[in-house]
Amino acid sequence: MTLALRRRARVYGAIAAMVPKTFLAYTIWVWMNWFTQIVALIIFVFFWRAVYANTNAINGLTLGQTLTYVLLARLLSPLVENTNTISFFGSLLRDGQLSMELLRPLDFQAGAYAQRIANLLMDLALQLPIALVAIVFFRLRVTLDPLVWLSFVVTALLGFSTLFFFDWIIGCLAFYITEIWGLSVLRYGVSNLFSGLLLPLVLLPDGFRQVAEALPFAQALYLPVSILSGITPLSDVPRLWLQQVVWLVSLLVLSRFAFSRAVRKVTVQGG
Amino acid sequence: MARSTPTRTGPVLLRYASLYWHFLLQRFKVLLEYRVNFIVGAASTIATQAASLLAIWVVMRQVPSLNGWRYDEVLLVYGMITVALGINHMFADNLWTVGRVYIRTGGFDRFLVRPINPLFHLLADRFCQDGIGNFLVGLALIIKASLALQLDWTPLKLLYLLIAVLSGGAIFIGLNLLTCVSCFWIMDSVPVTRLAFEMHEFAKYPLSMYHQSIGVVLTWLVPFGFASFYPASYLLGRDVGILAWLSPLVATVLLVIAYRVWLWGLRHYSGSGS
Repeated sequence: MTLALRRRARVYGAIAAMVPKTFLAYTIWVWMNWFTQIVALIIFVFFWRAVYANTNAINGLTLGQTLTYVLLARLLSPLVENTNTISFFGSLLRDGQLSMELLRPLDFQAGAYAQRIANLLMDLALQLPIALVAIVFFRLRVTLDPLVWLSFVVTALLGFSTLFFFDWIIGCLAFYITEIWGLSVLRYGVSNLFSGLLLPLVLLPDGFRQVAEALPFAQALYLPVSILSGITPLSDVPRLWLQQVVWLVSLLVLSRFAFSRAVRKVTVQGG
Repeated sequence: MARSTPTRTGPVLLRYASLYWHFLLQRFKVLLEYRVNFIVGAASTIATQAASLLAIWVVMRQVPSLNGWRYDEVLLVYGMITVALGINHMFADNLWTVGRVYIRTGGFDRFLVRPINPLFHLLADRFCQDGIGNFLVGLALIIKASLALQLDWTPLKLLYLLIAVLSGGAIFIGLNLLTCVSCFWIMDSVPVTRLAFEMHEFAKYPLSMYHQSIGVVLTWLVPFGFASFYPASYLLGRDVGILAWLSPLVATVLLVIAYRVWLWGLRHYSGSGS
């Protein structure tokens, strides 16, 4: 009797113990993410201090300006690092979810876009503790001018949306080549450099800067961050917006076209 | 578990070497079946490294030095840690996936009933081709740096370099082994391993660039400094004293400790119930 009871207690105890274990597993992921970001911040700060050890300005940027830019770019990295859109297509095809998605009485792309925006807001919220670290330990100071912030938000939103449509087009390639993982890694590597995540793009030599301007990554990170850090003056903003709208509209049209073509090729791998 | 009690170590080592060869052959058969994945995997690591390297190049061509270290000297440090990273990535990548792929699925139990060391089995089970990219990038950097700096490679110095990068690989493996033991309790050890692993980012640059406390951590706590900064300093004729000679010792001590902890964790393993 007692033996059976004790056995049950042990079994259900083990099942109950799974709850804190699962919870702990997710919390550890969040902490790990914070830790790796702080490591990156520390390396960036010391690297740039060493770079500026013997010089006052590089291409017109002082150490203070560069550090403000680099710290902000790190904090706002979710604007470009979100490669979910590409892997989204991979998984849709792998598990056959695509046919379900297409049957729903709503716009497939708009639904995905809404989710990416929610993703972005959550990722940015998770960056707040890192921002605190940057402010307290690395003396990050950002302007409080509401006009700068407004320009920043609009530019960021335009750029993020442009990049969403760009990733959408790459994702459509999954219909043709089925294995999309390599492409998403390539996208990650290229965007690291050309989005301005590693350094302000004004430091790039001319050839590289032209490549950066021809790719959409800078739209989502370099433009908004350079506005917020004061590298790009407010007077340039209207011109930038015009340019961003052109980017956005062309990629929007192109992505709708690419999807309508690609979906005819669909071969679902299972489900 | 590791109770094969070798009467003579020679034949045991030989047996494991030939076993490893058989595992490797099987793995290559799989890789040949999926050739595109093989190439994409190796290329992806190269692309990621290229982004950081281009950034360093762009910045350093505008300044004479990084805290007294010239561009090519920094590349030597960067290259040595990247070769070590590649060694770990190729031969010990399963230390990352043990929780997710083997323990959660119950596949790990398979290792426990076989007459070979479970850790050996785990490592031999998957040669990771993605690491080849890292290895080649690191090697290219070391060669590029030696040519630019006109380093004089005597046979002894080459031997020193070889021991240094092997020790570096062992330091990576030791830290990953030490931290992956947590998988016996929390199933997925990736976040824990990542905490220690991420520290290697510091060792891509000369440690003298940072605040002293970071140097101390990278020397005595997560000793990645012995995989890049100290041996590179020696090869470049910069005096770092006895620390230039400690890499193999540090690597060995770390491996022994990590293996002990692994055995201890294994005793607490109770299966995932799946």
